[in-house]
Amino acid sequence: MGEGTLSKAQEPAVRVSMFEGLRHRLPLETYVLALTVLVWILLAVFSQYFWTTGNITDILRQVSIDAILAFGSLFPIVLAGIDLSVGSVAGLAGVIFSMLIADAGQGILVALVVTVVAGLIIGMVNGWASERLGIPPFIVTLAGLQGYRGLALLLSGGLTIAGMPPGLQKFALSSVLHVPSLFLLMLAFGLAAHFLLAYTRTGRYMYAIGSNIESARRVGIRVTLVVIISYALASLYATISGLLLVARLSMGAPTAATGSELAAIAAAVVGGASLFGGRGTILGCFIGALLFTTIGNGANLLGVNSFWQMVIEGLLIAFVVYFDNLQKRRQAGLG
Amino acid sequence: MKKVLLIAAAALGCTVIGAQAGDFSKAKIDVIVKATTSQYWGTVFDGARQAAKDLGLSIATLGAPSELDVAQEVQILENATAAKPTGIVIAATNAQALAQPVDAATKAGIPVVVIDSDANTKNYVTFLATNNETGGQKAAIEMARCIKARTGGDTGKVAYLTALAGAQSLNDRDKGFVEQLKSYPGLSIVEHRVGNNEASRALSDSEDLLTAHPDLVGIFADNELEGDGAGTAVSEKGLGSKVCLVAFDTSDQEIKFVRSGIIDALIVQNPYMMGYAGVWYALAAAHGVVFPKYVDTGVSVVTKDNIDSPQMGGLLDPKKYVLSPFLGAQ
Repeated sequence: MGEGTLSKAQEPAVRVSMFEGLRHRLPLETYVLALTVLVWILLAVFSQYFWTTGNITDILRQVSIDAILAFGSLFPIVLAGIDLSVGSVAGLAGVIFSMLIADAGQGILVALVVTVVAGLIIGMVNGWASERLGIPPFIVTLAGLQGYRGLALLLSGGLTIAGMPPGLQKFALSSVLHVPSLFLLMLAFGLAAHFLLAYTRTGRYMYAIGSNIESARRVGIRVTLVVIISYALASLYATISGLLLVARLSMGAPTAATGSELAAIAAAVVGGASLFGGRGTILGCFIGALLFTTIGNGANLLGVNSFWQMVIEGLLIAFVVYFDNLQKRRQAGLG
Repeated sequence: MKKVLLIAAAALGCTVIGAQAGDFSKAKIDVIVKATTSQYWGTVFDGARQAAKDLGLSIATLGAPSELDVAQEVQILENATAAKPTGIVIAATNAQALAQPVDAATKAGIPVVVIDSDANTKNYVTFLATNNETGGQKAAIEMARCIKARTGGDTGKVAYLTALAGAQSLNDRDKGFVEQLKSYPGLSIVEHRVGNNEASRALSDSEDLLTAHPDLVGIFADNELEGDGAGTAVSEKGLGSKVCLVAFDTSDQEIKFVRSGIIDALIVQNPYMMGYAGVWYALAAAHGVVFPKYVDTGVSVVTKDNIDSPQMGGLLDPKKYVLSPFLGAQ
């Protein structure tokens, strides 16, 4: 047993020499950004349509909704938690919002407020249950993943809800100075989340709790409150992305954003967040989401087989996390 | 003559009274669909409910929320078999995975009517379905017609979108489309994308296709969510008058797109009849009636020109469905 641990400890030192050139540890985001830029350059070389206004606009729109979902899921990840329910919450929010408009005849504003409040309540319940009831967040939000999707299906009778006011889709397609409104909205939500994580006390508490919950408690951080806030934010951002999906497609679909919780978590992780908590940035989330969107767009432009695309995305997640771990182990080794 | 009529009337009266007395009131048919989340399967349920009402029996409407969930459908069928209903009507999400459970239900003495998508076994009463390959062929014919009308020629690049990998009915549609399109040598298929049965993915895929092939003249979307997504992309890019979009099934969104000229033709099945006839057949089979192994429920083509005609009305909106006599001619 002792021998086994020893040889494992020696392993990184050998491997590291392969990456001798990367002596100084840069944040993972830097490498992922470099990779994204590389993919952009390659696509610009191989597809004459990649670097066109139309396509860049498409990419900016496509990344917006995914990135907002990823931003939200970063808060629990920073806490060493996880929110698996964000895709279902997005779907449920879309259903509530579109049914209030199409079936209950409410105005956009009323529907918006009701949906956002519903989203916040869901998030607070998630946070409260995982902190106060002592149920692991993985389980709490796994229940949510199933339950909220079920609720969305139940409310809508499983059907898509059409009859949205045309203004909604017009907004989703509009641009300000050639930049899609959706993208600007994503930037605004991204900046808000970044500010909260990087410059407020609550944000610093989140990293502190994620690094070591016990010592956070001992120094007097109100852990329960911070946990509830971060899950509420995850749900809020999921709700927003659900509303934007409705605007984009001009319909509410109970199946909208199915499986997108995994894409959101993957974007955060590829962007440098650690599932063990205490680490992760909004910028990283954005770059991660952008990389996945770019790969999807590139695969479509180059006509890469849809199944290969999935394999490539899987390899990418594995590689980035491996590379990150390698760096961390090396850093630990250099002490 | 009068006497004959009287007897006939009496006989008719008897059957009506018999039905009212509820000969079948104890009969229970389980109707299991692939996904409870789409309008299409909702229409199957509508037809089944109407049949239950007409026959005075009870039905249970069952299914997994998502077509991706094959395992759950197997479980639902196994549970249904254990409860021994009068009959089972089922649409198989995956031909192979559902084969054994359908076998088991039949062996347990329950007549199984398979609708829409086949199971890989012959141990069932009948298979009541759209000929999806024919539907795909019709899509190719409509596409060629539309391209001809638009461009005056019969050349150009075409792409098609598959909603989901591994579903037999979708594979058949695609096969019919691809094969039929070969009879138009000027039309070439340049792209094929496979989605995850989600409208926003279909939207992104279609946008990218239209970017990658600015000279694309046609898109075929092989189910309603793909049709919703592709329609949104075409309308966003203002290509409604340039790209011929042909899609399967009928969602509210798709119907709107047909009216606004974004979707040029919808290939429409008759899910109402699958549900309606499925329940009748299952009940009849439970009483010994023999059926042919395959019954085609037909496909229709809906365009802007015929969308308001009464015969299409019932196909687009099950509430307007009028049951009319079948006289033997398709």
